[in-house]
Order: sequence, then structure tokens, then C-alpha cells
Amino acid sequence: MAAKVDSAACDACGTCVSVCPTRAIRCAPEVPVVDEGTCIACGRCVKVCPIAAIRMEETNRIS
Amino acid sequence: MPETRTYQITVVGAGPAGAMAAWRAAAGGRRVCLLERKSRVGTPVRCGEGIGLKGMTASLDIDKRWILATVSKACFVSPAGLRVTLADIDESYVIDRTVFDADLVERARDAGAEYFPHTPVTGIARREDGRYRCVTPRGAFDAPCVILADGIESNLARDAGWDTSLKLEDLESCAFCHVTHPGIADDTVCFHVGSGQAPGGFAWVFPRGKGRANVGLGVLGTFCEPGKARRCLHRFVESRFPGASADDEHCGGVPVGRWTRPLVRGGIMLAGDAARQVNSLSGAGIGYGLYAGRLAGDVAARACSGEGCDQGALQQYQKEWASGLGIQQDRSYALKSMLLTKNNDAFFDRIARAFARSDPKRLNYKSIFLRTFARHPLMMLKVLRLFR
Repeated sequence: MAAKVDSAACDACGTCVSVCPTRAIRCAPEVPVVDEGTCIACGRCVKVCPIAAIRMEETNRIS
Repeated sequence: MPETRTYQITVVGAGPAGAMAAWRAAAGGRRVCLLERKSRVGTPVRCGEGIGLKGMTASLDIDKRWILATVSKACFVSPAGLRVTLADIDESYVIDRTVFDADLVERARDAGAEYFPHTPVTGIARREDGRYRCVTPRGAFDAPCVILADGIESNLARDAGWDTSLKLEDLESCAFCHVTHPGIADDTVCFHVGSGQAPGGFAWVFPRGKGRANVGLGVLGTFCEPGKARRCLHRFVESRFPGASADDEHCGGVPVGRWTRPLVRGGIMLAGDAARQVNSLSGAGIGYGLYAGRLAGDVAARACSGEGCDQGALQQYQKEWASGLGIQQDRSYALKSMLLTKNNDAFFDRIARAFARSDPKRLNYKSIFLRTFARHPLMMLKVLRLFR
């Protein structure tokens, strides 16, 4: 699992970035991008997004 | 080959804290660059745009062009809808952040700082010559001293070794918009508390003049669910301003934790939202950012000379912050932890009942605090400890 940003809905406010414990999200430079390898699927970014523009998704990564 | 430019001080982020820092550092005679991710600073506005007279004049003189409304009354609305009005608060302003931010950048440029909009910094690294390199798509910017004012995300501070990730209880997830409605009073700011309106935070109505207002709210991270801030905002606007038109809707995060410690590492300083320098109870950050930026810029200007930077001298920035607004923030944090981290609806309604019939002209923050805490001895003890 990893967080996935809906770039069409995202307002690029950076709130998700501020709560990420592993530095997996960066504004790049506007809409944030999640590094699937660093994301621990803790869900904090999903929870705090003011406009629900992030969700958890299955990834193809072999863990 | 991308170009490499060399300065004495690099400032990252051109919001109030960064622009102020660049302005002061340049006015202090240093070669300064100011790097901004966006092509136009101050857009979109992610802010309530309110600031008190004291908060502003602690750092700079007010320019009338920034002011949208001058406010002298504050109205607090309890969860059950009881209103307590303070008719004689310290003069406060609602300012146009788009105009304000752009003006501050102009002042930094007038003082000699070189401004680079649309220049996102993708990484920061220390080089063998002791300088820090900020990497951007427009080339590298090298300097022995860097002030990071890159906002709530605080990406670069993390690259430089700080852990600035916010705990959920130290973040307000916010949504705001501009509302036009005949019920908006141009001289009054309104705050609505209650778990039904804005759990763990509050909703605000800040007049922008001509019957318009900046309306927004914050939901504490611990009470968040995906999209909650926006849903709460829509519900609030519909119930408070039925039939109103709302536009310019945006969202944002406000750090409401303690300020980052340390504020200085080697030749790098943090300022503003990036350093979590925000009043934790009110979420007000413009005044704190200006003050921190001014301190950081002044200290950096004194510490840098020739090609070098006296890193020991940069520590003065944290000393001055910690003994100035830093104390105020620590107190606001303790109050926030007491008042906003759990559902206090019954408590807020009790206070409101006690004051709802008071003469607004005779109410002020101090009298409310004192009379409230007199009824809550445990809280009184905790608060007294804060102001010792």
C-alpha cells in the first residue's frame, strides 16, 4: 500500500507533506508526489487532507 | 551546464518570513538571493489574513494599501450559539496577503536582494568549501548562510537534518473562502468554536470590506477525516450565510505545535511556518513570521562577512526568539493543549453563558480569562505556572 495523490483534485497546499513521518511526500514543485518506496502507508496524509485529494492504493511493489 | 551563482546569504521562500529576512539581510549590506517556488508570491492566499496592530508594528510600519478592514470588535460564538462580544479590542487589521507579500518582496529587492520567482529548490547540500548549495532547475545557488522559510511543508529543513514532521495534534487542517453577504460587519472579527463547527479548532469570519469576508476554519489533525475541513466549511457557510456566494476556495495547513528546536544548525536557520513559529492557540502566523524573518535577517547580516559566515554568531537568532515571541508561543501552546485538544463544548457554553449579558465595552481578554479561571481552580493553577 502507498498514498496516491489525485493531482486533478489537489490544491497543492502542502498539509500532507507536513505530517509525513518518512519524508515520502514532496511538492514537486506544485502537486505533491509520493515515493512508494519510502511510504509506510501510515495514512496520516490521507486523514489530514482538507479536501480528500489523497487515498491509499495497492501498489505493485514486492514487499 | 547549469549556472552556479554565489551569494553571502540564500533565503528560500518569499512569504512574509522569507521576504522580511531577505530585506533585512540585504539592508545590512549583504549579497542576498531570494528563491521562490511560485511564479507569483502570495497567490493563492492560504491564510485568514488577520493581524493585530502590535504584531505588525513589532516588525514594520503599516502601509494603508495593505489594509482591507480595520477591526475594533471581536465576537465569540459558543457551540450552542451564545455570542460574547468584546467591543474594545486592540486595533487589528485584515490585510490583502497578495498585495502585502508582493510589497515585501519589492522592499527586499529595493534593498538589493536578487529575487528569483518560479525557482523551486529541489535539494540542499553542504559543499567542501563550507558553502551550502541550493539546487534548482535554474542552476545552483551557493552561500555560506541559508535561511529556510519554505512554509508548512518544510521540505528543505528535513533535507538538512531536522525532523519537522508534525504530530496530528499539532496541525490544523484548514479550508477557507471569500464570502459576500449582507450579514458581514466590516468592523468585527468573529470566532465560532464547537465540535459541530470545527472540531479541535474554530471557524473565523474576518471582514475584507464591502460586505465581503475571509471565512475559514481549522480542524485539529487528531479529529480529521479525509476532506473534513472542506465539508465543515461548506456546512458553516450554508448555515451562517444562507444564500451567500462563496469563491476563492482554498485549503491549507497551519502548524500549531511548539517552535522547532534548534532554530539554527551550522549555517542554516529556519524561519516562519517552516520553523513552526505560529501562535498555537489562534493559528496567527503573519506577525510571528515577520518577527522571525527580521531577527534571522539581521543576525545573518551581522554574522556574514567577505566569503564566510560566523556560525556561532547565528545562535543569537534563537536566543532572541526564545526570549521574545518564543515565550508567547510556548504559552499559547499550553493554552491550546488545554482548550482545543479535547471536546470542550460544555465548557465553552458555560463561559459564554457567564459573559453573554455583560456589557461588551467592559469585556476584555484579561477579564474573561480571570473570571473563567476563578471558577476552574485546576486550570487556574496550570495557567499561573505559564505566566510565572
